[in-house]
Amino acid sequence: MQFRLVRYFTLASLGMFALVALSLIYFERQQGNFFRQTGDEQRTFFGEVQQSFAKQQEESARRDLLTIHESGNVNLTRLFANALWEKDFAPFVAQVQAIDVDGCQAIADITDDQGKKAVPPEKKACFADIGKRITTLPGFKAIDAKVFDSMKKSTVFKIKVFDLRGITVYSSEHAQMGEDKSTNEGWRSAAFDGVPKSELTHRGKFSAFEGVVENRDLISSYLPVLDPGSSRIVGVFEVYSDVTPFLKQIQQTSAQIRATAAGNQQKLEAAGAENQAAVDATSHRQLATIAALLALLFGALLVIVTRADRIIQQQEADRAQVHQQLAQSEKMASLGQMVAGVAHQLNTPLAFSQNNILMVKDALQSMELPMKVAGRLSSILEDVEGDKVTIKVSQLKANLDKLQDGNVDVAMLQEMLKDVLGGIDQMSELVVNLRDFTRLDRAATTNADLNKSLHTVAYIAQTVIPKNIELIEEYGELPEVECNPSQLNQVFLNLINNAAQAIEGPGRIRVRSSAAGDKVRIEVQDNGRGIPDHVLPNIFDLYYTTKPAGEGTGLGLAIARNIVTEHGGDISVSTRVGVGTTFTVTLPVRQQPPLAKAA
Amino acid sequence: MTRLAGKVLCVDDEPGIVRSLQWLLQKQFEVFTATGGAEALELVKQHDFDVVISDQRMPAMTGVEVLREVRRLSPRTMRILLTGYTDMQAIVRSVNESEVFRFINKPWNISELPKVVAQAITIAKTQPVEAPAPEVSDDAPIVANGERILVIDDDPDMGRAVSDLVGASAIVSYTRNLADAVGILNAEPISVIISETRVGSIDATRLVRLMKSKHPEIVTVMLTAESDADTITTLINQGQIYRFVPKPIRTGYLKLVLQSALRKHSALASDPALTFRHTVEATSAGAMESLMSDVRQAAPHAETAAAAKSGGFMASLGAGFRRLFGAG
Ligand SMILES: Nc1ncnc2c1ncn2[C@@H]1O[C@H](COP(=O)(O)OP(=O)(O)OP(=O)(O)O)[C@@H](O)[C@H]1O
Ligand SMILES: [Mg+2]
Repeated sequence: MQFRLVRYFTLASLGMFALVALSLIYFERQQGNFFRQTGDEQRTFFGEVQQSFAKQQEESARRDLLTIHESGNVNLTRLFANALWEKDFAPFVAQVQAIDVDGCQAIADITDDQGKKAVPPEKKACFADIGKRITTLPGFKAIDAKVFDSMKKSTVFKIKVFDLRGITVYSSEHAQMGEDKSTNEGWRSAAFDGVPKSELTHRGKFSAFEGVVENRDLISSYLPVLDPGSSRIVGVFEVYSDVTPFLKQIQQTSAQIRATAAGNQQKLEAAGAENQAAVDATSHRQLATIAALLALLFGALLVIVTRADRIIQQQEADRAQVHQQLAQSEKMASLGQMVAGVAHQLNTPLAFSQNNILMVKDALQSMELPMKVAGRLSSILEDVEGDKVTIKVSQLKANLDKLQDGNVDVAMLQEMLKDVLGGIDQMSELVVNLRDFTRLDRAATTNADLNKSLHTVAYIAQTVIPKNIELIEEYGELPEVECNPSQLNQVFLNLINNAAQAIEGPGRIRVRSSAAGDKVRIEVQDNGRGIPDHVLPNIFDLYYTTKPAGEGTGLGLAIARNIVTEHGGDISVSTRVGVGTTFTVTLPVRQQPPLAKAA
Repeated sequence: MTRLAGKVLCVDDEPGIVRSLQWLLQKQFEVFTATGGAEALELVKQHDFDVVISDQRMPAMTGVEVLREVRRLSPRTMRILLTGYTDMQAIVRSVNESEVFRFINKPWNISELPKVVAQAITIAKTQPVEAPAPEVSDDAPIVANGERILVIDDDPDMGRAVSDLVGASAIVSYTRNLADAVGILNAEPISVIISETRVGSIDATRLVRLMKSKHPEIVTVMLTAESDADTITTLINQGQIYRFVPKPIRTGYLKLVLQSALRKHSALASDPALTFRHTVEATSAGAMESLMSDVRQAAPHAETAAAAKSGGFMASLGAGFRRLFGAG
């Protein structure tokens, strides 16, 4: 599996950046919400403070107004009492005391459906009767005129006078004469405790000295009337004074304050909103900056990673190329060794064949003269009728040694030529095996007889390995195996070469084959030095070799294992130091479909 | 027909080879054959062979091993190694262990081989054999009486190593260029030459071969870092080098080689007839001229003692060559 550096980096870092961005946005939101909330709380609090302040201000203004008017009324009452009580009211009140009110007061109050105490109408009528009686008393008219006179054009709208029984002995509003106030809080406070009691009320309609007035704010005060010269309470005054303009002023001030507060609130709100907007903007800017920085970081990393990836790929390619070159050089080296071995193998039959042929040629040459002589003799004999012939031998005698030279042993010549034929057989055997070994003219993957392959490899190997190493071939019955025979040849040659290289001096290599079910088993056994424990785990590693530089590249077993694995087979080793080593190759008879294509 | 002029044993594991050798040689010599080392040695014990020709590549015993045993069993027998497949290690061993007379390449020349065998037989029959060398051990001191040893090598350590080994018992001259070597060889009688195959950029084997052809009593030891089999074949056949020492050199081994070289020289010097056993093939024509021109070309660049002298250097060099090797 290939590691896709750039892709994995991009996915992982983009995922990570997305997470970082999401959490940043989340925290920014939280922070914004917190800001907004605290801003809101502050504003609400501030608004409440302002409102309560305005309210307090109005309340205290009203209270002040009440107090001021009350004390004004008290003074007025004093004045009034001093002016009117002695001479006018005291005798008049004394007259009223004569009127019995107990009968009216005895009428029980009723409780209405809401549980509130109410004065029944007959009681009101009873007291109204009493009031009528009072108005009829002498001196009433004079008092009434005096009161009206003195109160006209003042802020006092109404005056009432009560006796200590709570009966209204005088009212500038005559209809109210005779009314009972004995249960009234204000009256009780003034009559019994001597403490004035005031109250601010708003009236839609009010009959004042100058007539009926509308929409007025009035302060009514119950004031005790003290007997001049002593501190005895002799009656109770009720004074209604108009504070409408004051109140208006107060209300105006209050409204002004409220408006200011509202303005402040608004400003505060605007400032809050502005702040919030600023905070939001900052947080957005912050987010944008971080996003930009992250993007920049990603870009930079991507550039680095891409570059690194390219370098790694380049190195990978370089390494692959170096491997290929090394494999190529190994091939060349073993090819060179093979060529040298083959050359030697060829050299031996070549040497004696050449020798023999040259000798036969010489012999034939030396036979030329005797053959000629024999030929001439035979033609002479043909022409002769009788059984005697005379030959002049002087010329022949001169060439006697040449004739003797030609007296060669023909049987020996035949032996020589027989050896030459044997030599030619050896050479052609070599050529056939070479062709079988390389298999350049065959299909890459076929059904092959591995025993034949093994024999070819053994034959070729024998040309290279020292002659004092015996190569024993023990082949069992094998089915045809679907494989790439030229690759397997390389495997077998590597194993046999390794075995030969492990043997010092004379030795023995056994090449065995056997079939087991749908598998075949090939063994290469040597009685060489064996593989020590510290070497054994590494022997299949690429470039691992214990041989001196130039002798071993360490590719042999790595290539062998590669080829065997590609065939869906297995290669294993068992070894004993000093005793020998056996390499076992197991191959399936049939290839798995995908492997058949790859092999 | 001059038959049975000598006894020859041919050894090869391939019957075709021994048969054709027999056919080739039986006209002139009494030929025996063997197809294995053991069989050959058995025959050597029974017969007194003048020449043994053995193939190098054989099962059980290699040619070098066979010839080494032959040398032990029958020192007067001349040894010829037949090689087809050049194997450096075997060749070095054949020089050092078996002291072979000639290398013959397969396929052989059918008119040359009988002549080489005839020459070897003549030497074997007519020339005395030196007494077998006693076994020498590493720690035995070097025996020498004032012999002169010439060391030719690019590496001055080599000269120093040889001086240290022989001490005062022999005189060691060291040089790193061939012009000086020629001068030294002219000036002094040299007993042993220890030479690298290449000195500077010049092939020094020609000097050794030429020296050996004129002065067979000089014992030559060749040193080399890397060399090819052809060079050594030529050296053996044309230079009869005594030992071949592959670099890097172990001091112990160098000492052993020096010791036996000095002994060899004293044997050769005491009985000049022995040198025939080291007869060389005719050096290829023009070897002296080509060597001379190479040395001349290299001379101006080399820091030679002679170069410091007058312009007469070339003339004196030429004269030196001629004096050493004759007219060529
Ligand atoms: N039959 C064997 N006996 C002992 N050791 C072996 C044997 N086969 C392999 N080895 C060990 O395994 C190592 C690796 O073998 P491999 O064939 O891979 O490389 P190599 O033989 O050293 O070099 P190359 O095959 O490239 O020439 C060898 O160096 C050797 O130490
Ligand atoms: Mg190997």
